[in-house]
Amino acid sequence: MLSQAIWWSSAVLEALVLIRGVRGRLVLHYPVFYGYIFFVLSQSILRALVLRWYQGAYGPLYWTTEFLGLAIGCWIVFEIYQVALAPYPGTAKMARKVLLFLLVMALARAISEFWSDPHILSDTTALQAERSLRTFQAVAILALVLLFVSYSITFGRNLRGILLGYGFFIGERVICLTFVSERERDFWFYAYSASYIAALGLWLGHLWSYQPSPELSGKLGLELEYQRIAAATQRRLREARSYLRKVARS
Amino acid sequence: MIGFASLMAGVVLLLLLVAFAANGWMAARDSWEARIAQDDNAGAEICPPEFVGHVFSRQDWEFIRGMRAPELAALFQQERKRVALVWVRQTSAMIQRAMREHATAARQSKNVDFPTELKIWRQFVSLVLICGTLSLAIQIAGPLWLASLARVAQRLSEQMTNVQSAFRPAPPVSADAAGSE
Repeated sequence: MLSQAIWWSSAVLEALVLIRGVRGRLVLHYPVFYGYIFFVLSQSILRALVLRWYQGAYGPLYWTTEFLGLAIGCWIVFEIYQVALAPYPGTAKMARKVLLFLLVMALARAISEFWSDPHILSDTTALQAERSLRTFQAVAILALVLLFVSYSITFGRNLRGILLGYGFFIGERVICLTFVSERERDFWFYAYSASYIAALGLWLGHLWSYQPSPELSGKLGLELEYQRIAAATQRRLREARSYLRKVARS
Repeated sequence: MIGFASLMAGVVLLLLLVAFAANGWMAARDSWEARIAQDDNAGAEICPPEFVGHVFSRQDWEFIRGMRAPELAALFQQERKRVALVWVRQTSAMIQRAMREHATAARQSKNVDFPTELKIWRQFVSLVLICGTLSLAIQIAGPLWLASLARVAQRLSEQMTNVQSAFRPAPPVSADAAGSE
C-alpha cells in the first residue's frame, strides 16, 4: 500500500515537473535535467508493466535502469557545473581540477580493492555497487557546493532548485543505502523510495517558472583589474600579518 | 568501513545543503558581506600598532599587580580581555576581507593556478582557525597567557602572504615594451 502511494506520488510529481518545464520553456535551459525526469517517469511505467506481465525480467530491468539513471544523474551534476560556472572561468577551472582529482582518487581506490581481492566484482551486490557510485556522486556534489560557497557564486532560483533537489536526493539515498536491507522491506526501504518524492517537491517549487540567473556585477574584463585587486589583497594580508607579528613580539 | 564513509558523505552533504537552503544562497552571501562591511566600520577605529603590541604583554599586568589593588587588577584584566577580543575580530575580518577580494578576482580569472589556490585556502582556513582559537583562549584564559599561540598565528600569516606573492600574475606587457623587443 505504502509502495503504491510512493509510486503514484512520484509519477504525479514527475508529470507536473515536466508539464511546468515544457510550459515555462525551462526544458530549453536545462535539457539534461528534464531528460532525467522524463527518463525516470518512463522507467517507472516500464518497471510497473514488466512487474505485472514479465516478473522474471524485473530484476535485470530494475538494475539496468537504476544504473542508467545514475549515469544521467552524473550528467545533471555536469549541467549544474556548466551553467553555474559559465561566467566564472577561474572557479570553473578549480572545479574541473577538483572533480578530476576526486575521479582519480575513486578509480585508484577501486583498482586497489580489485588488486587486493580479485573476486570483489562477483562478490559485490548491485546494491553495494550503487552505494559506492552514489557516494562518489555525493562527494562530487559536496565539493562543488563548497566551491560555489567559497567563491560566492550566485545562482538563479531554477538552478538552485535543481542543485538542492538533486543534492538532497543523493544525500538521502546514500544514507538509506547504508542501512537498507537486501531481504526485507523495513523503514529504510521506504525511506529510500520516498527520498525521491522530497526532491521532486523541491524541484516543483523552484522550477514552477523560468527565472534567469542573476547578472554578474562588476565584471572583470581586464587582468589589470584583477592584478589591482590581488595587490590590494596582498596589502591587507600584510596588515594582518603585521598585527599578529606585533603580538608575537610582545 | 565503506558503509561508514558513505554515511558520513551523505550526512555531511545533507547538512551542508540544509545550511545552504536555510540561509538562502544570496541571503547567506549578503549577510557575509554585511558582516564584512560592519568589520570595515570597526576598522575605522583600528587599534594603533604600538598599542596592539602591548595587548598581550605582561609588563602592564606586573605593574598593576605591584599596586596590590585587587579591584584594579580585576578591572585591568577585564578591559585587557575586551581590547584583545576586538583586536582578534579586526584581524580576522581583515583576513576574511582579503580572502573575499581574492575569491572575487580569482573566480573570473583564467590565470588561476590550482596548487597555489589550494595553498591559499589552506592558509586562510588555518588563519581563521587560529583567530577562532585565540578568541576562545582569550575568553577562557585571558590575553596575558597567549604569546606562544600568537607566534604560531604570525608564522602562518607570513606563509599566507608568501603564497599570495606567488599567486600574483605577471604584469601585462605594454605596447612600448613589446615594440622594443
